[in-house]
Amino acid sequence: MKNENPNGRSPQWWKTAVIILAIFLLYAYGLQVTKVNLEEPLEPQRQENLVSLIRSFARPDFFTYDTETRRTAVSLRMPCPEEIKGSQVSIEGRELLMVPNCASTTQDTITITGSGFQPNAEGLIAWKPIDATTTRRVAEFKVNADGQMETTFTMPDIRASEEPQTLEVVEVVDRHIVGLSDTTFEALDKIIETVLMALMASTIGTLISIPLSFIAARNLMQNVKAPITGIMSGLILLPVFGGLAFWLGRLLVGPVLSADSTFLASLQTGLETLGFVGNFIFVIIELIILLLPLMLGFVGALAANLVGSRLGERVTMQLPENTLRILNFVTTLLGTAVLFILIAFSVTWLNLLGIREFLPETFGAQLNAFLLPGLVLGLIAALFTLRVPAKHHYPVGLVIYNTTRTIFNATRSIEPLMMGFVFVVWVGLGPFAGIMALTLHSVADLGKLFSEEVENINEGPVEAITATGASQLQRIVYAVVPQVTPHYIAYIFYRWDINVRLSTIIGFVGGGGIGFVLQRNINQLLYTRASVMVIAIAIVVVVLDNISARVRSRII
Amino acid sequence: MLKIQNLTKVYEDGTVALKDVSFEVPDGEFVAVIGLSGSGKSTLLRCINRLIEPTSGQIWWNGIELSEVSGEELRRARRQIGMIFQHFNLVNRSSVLTNVLSGRLGYVNPIASVLGRFPQEDIKRAHASLARVGIGDKAENRADELSGGQRQRVGIARALMQEPKMILADEPVASLDPALAHSIMRHLLEINQEDKITVLCSLHFLDLVQQYSTRAIALNEGRLVFDGTPKEIDDEKFIEIYGREAERIG
Repeated sequence: MKNENPNGRSPQWWKTAVIILAIFLLYAYGLQVTKVNLEEPLEPQRQENLVSLIRSFARPDFFTYDTETRRTAVSLRMPCPEEIKGSQVSIEGRELLMVPNCASTTQDTITITGSGFQPNAEGLIAWKPIDATTTRRVAEFKVNADGQMETTFTMPDIRASEEPQTLEVVEVVDRHIVGLSDTTFEALDKIIETVLMALMASTIGTLISIPLSFIAARNLMQNVKAPITGIMSGLILLPVFGGLAFWLGRLLVGPVLSADSTFLASLQTGLETLGFVGNFIFVIIELIILLLPLMLGFVGALAANLVGSRLGERVTMQLPENTLRILNFVTTLLGTAVLFILIAFSVTWLNLLGIREFLPETFGAQLNAFLLPGLVLGLIAALFTLRVPAKHHYPVGLVIYNTTRTIFNATRSIEPLMMGFVFVVWVGLGPFAGIMALTLHSVADLGKLFSEEVENINEGPVEAITATGASQLQRIVYAVVPQVTPHYIAYIFYRWDINVRLSTIIGFVGGGGIGFVLQRNINQLLYTRASVMVIAIAIVVVVLDNISARVRSRII
Repeated sequence: MLKIQNLTKVYEDGTVALKDVSFEVPDGEFVAVIGLSGSGKSTLLRCINRLIEPTSGQIWWNGIELSEVSGEELRRARRQIGMIFQHFNLVNRSSVLTNVLSGRLGYVNPIASVLGRFPQEDIKRAHASLARVGIGDKAENRADELSGGQRQRVGIARALMQEPKMILADEPVASLDPALAHSIMRHLLEINQEDKITVLCSLHFLDLVQQYSTRAIALNEGRLVFDGTPKEIDDEKFIEIYGREAERIG
């Protein structure tokens, strides 16, 4: 009775307590799993490492310096003779006192005091080992305002010799910037490469994703419907038209690509006179030639669908119901079989689940193996068509929409790093692999963003254009494209900015760009150089971000 | 001649928008479609050119069964039926001329039109259409630079480009102020009388119905509740059409 609350509901406090306890346990377990350790970061050695790392990054290697030095030499004995003494040197008003003037172990400390140096100058103690050609730095010092210095150090190692060895007190009299360092030039070179990589990937990605975005937009696809015979004759014609077009493309480019053709080589030398512009033109021509069979095959497949659906549409409208049923039966039988065989061949090519082990090796034998199950499936589907209304139009558009969407989402979820790795394997180290990886990711990402833009358009104009008797393509060009263009342009800039950031990561797996150099510098512990790269990336990202924000606000 | 028989439309969510509607419209008539918001006026007009698929019933127009055609045939039928919308439905970022030219899309070469090319005569015709509705000087403006009344005139010019035999006007003046409403209605009346184009126009205000239409049909909750001349709408009919709560103002 005492817990009764005014609402008449049972008390809830214990539920809250259980939830709090569960959350507490979750974080406690999380702490253990993630190995949070507060002692190690506090160790002096670790802290020293951290400080030196941060200081390296704070001293980016931007410039080359010209330094003017003054050297004062003093001789040193290793090991110490029996009688240990100090040395005193006096040159041009500089006085030096070294106590002692010898070292027997690396533990022995040596102290050098001096006066008459240039006030506030920095300097170091350099040692020239007896059998070495270069000097080694053994200590650093700073001259005070009165021109006096003092430094205590130990020798890094003992190279015993009868002869006296030399220590030099090197005082930096003057230090001034004479120019940009090689690192800066490299960073500039690579950041330009990175920006252009990102630009190429964004542009190619956009060009590919624009048409795809229309078939991934629900509002455009949901009204695309076709009768059974239309869908099925599209499928039957697909390998015929696609294959024929591909073969035709092969035939066309065959002579150009054959080993004894000099066309490409002479074209390249001809265009070489134009420098990098010529190379650009050559690459585009070469690309078109290489991709022609594939593109023709794609066009053939599209044409197959178009012709199939037109034909099916016309036939469906004209034939009497019973004849149509027979036609639906036959086309479904064949169409399903074709679809099955196409899918089966893709699965075989991928060797999904190691399927090749169970299949014959030649193409013909494989086709034979697929034919029977394909026809059985086709028969089942065909029997099914007898039970549905013969003239009904099915939402084939939604199937295409869902398939495209799924492919976009799956591709988007693959890390660009992973794609970079795959393309490095295929096309070798360098920015080209990076461009390919970024392009693929851009296509998936932009395709999704673009199609969402299409779904958000005002439907009114689409309705109006439809009412004029326009076809689907005309509807897209006249009602959809004008509405989405500004958004598309804005996204290209946005994607460019993203691609610059991604390309630094892709560089880590050898995809070219500044990331490649950054990773090399970090691996070689050249932090002052890495720092330059990091700063270059930051500047470019900020600038691009700004431009993209401005373009977006202006266009939309 | 437009003949509608037992037309019914049930939306996927179960809403019955049209229930067993039948009527005929001889060529050259100016028919006002009246009724409350949600009574099915827009659905009726959109079923005629199949922007909305009817659930059952037939629509016959000049010997074609509009409710049965599809693909190429449907597009050929649509191009002869102009449509005007309450919210104009212009492509805002395109020029007025492009908007008007898009009325020819059902006629022109599909490939050329996708590349933005129209025959010279169509461009002349577009300028003439714009001049006819009184905005011949606006051809190069962007559609969103125009005022509401001007935009609706672009809508009319676009419909005229289709060389239509019938115009469906869905609340063409509901978004305009009354003074502009009359000018738009006068354009429709002129098209109806001079070009002998059948007009089916849904309207809210009874005074517009009385002034412009030769005939009125009324819908209430998807049913046809009145079919006659505007003058026949007396107080009793008015209540039947609009319900008891409504008050006659026009």
